[in-house]
Amino acid sequence: MTEIPKESKVDPRITKKLREIMGEKNATAAKHIRYAYSYDMSFVKPKLPDYVVMAETVEQIQELMRFANLEKIPVIPYTAGTNIGGLCIPERGGILLDLKKMNKIIKIDPESHYAVIEPGVSHGQLAEALYAHKLRFGWPVGPPSASVSSCAINHGIGGLNARYGLNSQEITSMEVVLPTGELVRVGSCAIVEDAWHSTLPLPKLDGLFKGWLGGTGIVTKLGIGVHPIPPFLKVFTVSCDNVEDMYSYMLNLSNYEICDDLTAVSWWLAQVPIPYPYREKPDEAPEWFSFANTNSFTQKEKEAREEIWEMVVDEEKKKGTSLKVTQYPEEALRARTQLPSQIVGSTKNYCKMAGAGISWPGTFTPANKWAPVYTEWKKLLIGHNLSPSVRMSMYRGVHYGMLRAMIPFNKQSADETENARRAIVECLKIDLDHGGIPYKPPVDFGQEINKRAHPGYLMLLRRVKQMLDPNDIMNPGKLAL
Amino acid sequence: MEWNISSLKDLEHYFWRCTACGTCRSAYDFGPPPFTRPICPAGTEFGFEGYYSSKGKAAFARGISDGSLTFDDPEFLEAVYKCTVCGGCQNQCQVDYKPHIPEVIEAMRREAVKSGAGPMPAQKNLVQSMKNYNNPYQGPRRVRMDWTRPFKKAKTPIKDINTEPAEVLFYVGCTGAFNKIAQAVPQATARIFQKLGVAFGILGESEVCCGSTAMRVGDAEEFKRVATNNLETFKTLHAEKGVKTIVTSCAGCFRAIKKDYILSSEYNQMMDGIEVLHTVQYLHRLLKEGKLKFEKELPWKVTYHDPCHTGRHLNKFRVDNDGSELWEGAYVSVDESECLYDLPREIIKAIPGVSFVEMDRIRGNSYCCGGGGGVMTGFTDWAGKNAGLRIQEGMETGAEKMVSICPFCYFNLTEGAKRISSNITLHDLTELIDLALPD
Repeated sequence: MTEIPKESKVDPRITKKLREIMGEKNATAAKHIRYAYSYDMSFVKPKLPDYVVMAETVEQIQELMRFANLEKIPVIPYTAGTNIGGLCIPERGGILLDLKKMNKIIKIDPESHYAVIEPGVSHGQLAEALYAHKLRFGWPVGPPSASVSSCAINHGIGGLNARYGLNSQEITSMEVVLPTGELVRVGSCAIVEDAWHSTLPLPKLDGLFKGWLGGTGIVTKLGIGVHPIPPFLKVFTVSCDNVEDMYSYMLNLSNYEICDDLTAVSWWLAQVPIPYPYREKPDEAPEWFSFANTNSFTQKEKEAREEIWEMVVDEEKKKGTSLKVTQYPEEALRARTQLPSQIVGSTKNYCKMAGAGISWPGTFTPANKWAPVYTEWKKLLIGHNLSPSVRMSMYRGVHYGMLRAMIPFNKQSADETENARRAIVECLKIDLDHGGIPYKPPVDFGQEINKRAHPGYLMLLRRVKQMLDPNDIMNPGKLAL
Repeated sequence: MEWNISSLKDLEHYFWRCTACGTCRSAYDFGPPPFTRPICPAGTEFGFEGYYSSKGKAAFARGISDGSLTFDDPEFLEAVYKCTVCGGCQNQCQVDYKPHIPEVIEAMRREAVKSGAGPMPAQKNLVQSMKNYNNPYQGPRRVRMDWTRPFKKAKTPIKDINTEPAEVLFYVGCTGAFNKIAQAVPQATARIFQKLGVAFGILGESEVCCGSTAMRVGDAEEFKRVATNNLETFKTLHAEKGVKTIVTSCAGCFRAIKKDYILSSEYNQMMDGIEVLHTVQYLHRLLKEGKLKFEKELPWKVTYHDPCHTGRHLNKFRVDNDGSELWEGAYVSVDESECLYDLPREIIKAIPGVSFVEMDRIRGNSYCCGGGGGVMTGFTDWAGKNAGLRIQEGMETGAEKMVSICPFCYFNLTEGAKRISSNITLHDLTELIDLALPD
């Protein structure tokens, strides 16, 4: 059985004050509620918060932060808890701040192509609202109930990476409550209250709150770029017998920048669900599949994209690679082109066979390192009886992108969880040594990053954190500093 | 008679299959257009994880099983009962936990009852009433017949099946019999049967509660007592009074007989030769055979509320129990064919003059009225408040009438309409049918 979270100290005085700030029904120290926030789907060990509160207004959050800062109590921001890095599991107890009641879509500007949302807005909710304007966003392969805001501020991946960049690159403005309780704005909304269209050309202060794992403030409003839905979808699907050939194809195709999403997955990840424990791939099955989503506004545009793709396929075949135009497994394709999706979302395709647990070495890695890293990962994962269920996605206009292995495990078993954790951390070390950087990293990863980090980077990180959060109360410990 | 009712321990493997992904929190459909709505009444009201959907209930179950959470804590006890067990979350889940979600929730309640802490105080009265009066409403047996007074007055008495044979047993259910507002349901049903010349009878004062409420609040022993009694009664009625069909207008009774009674080791033997139908199924057959003919117009704008117990609770899940297909315990697929989604809609649309409009959350994604899982008794105020949310959704369609096929929903939604001062009125489908039939 997996580890039981250790009991923590609850001070009735603090509970009383939290109820005064947040409202009687929005603050609790009840054990069963704290228990429900003590774990997520990752290998990170369960830990209890001491209190849980739900915010409904920005003013409540400000007052909460002033109080927590005065009392030096940690605050852990939480929206849907669907990240797989244990980011909302408290390292040092404290107040878990659940933001999902703040779920208003404040504005959609269909002309200027941006939306302003509160942190609790889910992908499913925003997808519905945007569709009414025939607009879209880069929906990730997360649950429809996951938070758009949390995904974006933590450099989450979306289905439009190859066209518009990462979801964090879509951020146009922010309103943030600092750990000391002040309300700040960055981007155009800092100058004109109702203008949320751009973080440029001002200093990019949004960087103070992106990728910090909730360690520098509470984002209370977020502006994001949204885009029209082109009516003509074409998905190019190919397979290769080895990772090198697949890399060659992706590199070639990405040069033309015709895809919204250019992704390849290993045979194990193309299965719904990922086999657990490791199962050998049938000899006749290709080892890699790729789907490349393209969306066009006219039939002619679509045909032009097809022409480019056919040219790339011909070129790759002439090189003598194992590339074949092929069918992608039907349910897996649906799971990746009909987003947000209940099929993915870390559920059916990822964990269903293993049971409850999923973690990853999820990284941004130079594309020319994908093949060597995959080869090492594969050996290592199979050695741990885990499937090498790996994904590679090219980002906008560059030759680097996501390299990650989705590793399901049986969370009911402490041994199997630990086996997965070890394998994943080992995989991460391999990737780091090839120049990759993990995103949404659990503390185990943070430690490995920091071991390799330039001392000046760590000094700057500490200094910025100290400036914004002098008492180290915002999700402390997650940066492994 | 042996009963195969799972303990929480039996289900441990399944609640450990929950990935805590939160997909269960909202009803979602890719479309296009995409569709997302809240689906969990408890999550909507209380907000904290734990209260929210099947993810929260898996957390509670894990906490009980690892000893972290105990029913000595009255707040925890209450939290376990603050769930309508509507199955809305189950409809979203994609993993092996899915088929077992309501069972896990009820197994926690059985643990609570076994510990002496559960159910909630008001629900304890309900179960005690079952023990005293064979119904959960503390009603003396003779009161069970109150709803039949208009028939006696009109000199069209309803046959007592204990004394006169009939092919159809109309199993009235306690809510229809004892709840003044819900009495309209059995009255309309009986009038329809009389108009159509159906050879039917009722058990009258000797009818015993189906046991659904006891089962929903975790009192398995009381459920077994009444269910055993009823199975024996049904067998006797079949053998001695020629009963071939049991018809009920109560979604709770229907669900209990269809899904809970099959946990008996002797179900097949006791029910041999007897078909169990909801009134809507029975009447839909007659409609298709041309025997149910509407003559009167009802110039109403109507929307339909799918009760949980006649909807997604009737899903049939295919589970790979022996691991021969996928792996041991794998959820393979779901069959919705027994869910009563289309039949009531087809009947409503067949009534002359009715203009039918749908709410946003329908069929498998219907939003629970808030009365299920013992909540109407245990947390009356919240049940009414939640019903108000559903009524609001109905009002947004422009409908004047909300129709359903469950006396619980009927009563609770009526309370919800009062609470928000809505002009929308509740009707059981049998009432519409009765009005549209010739006298």
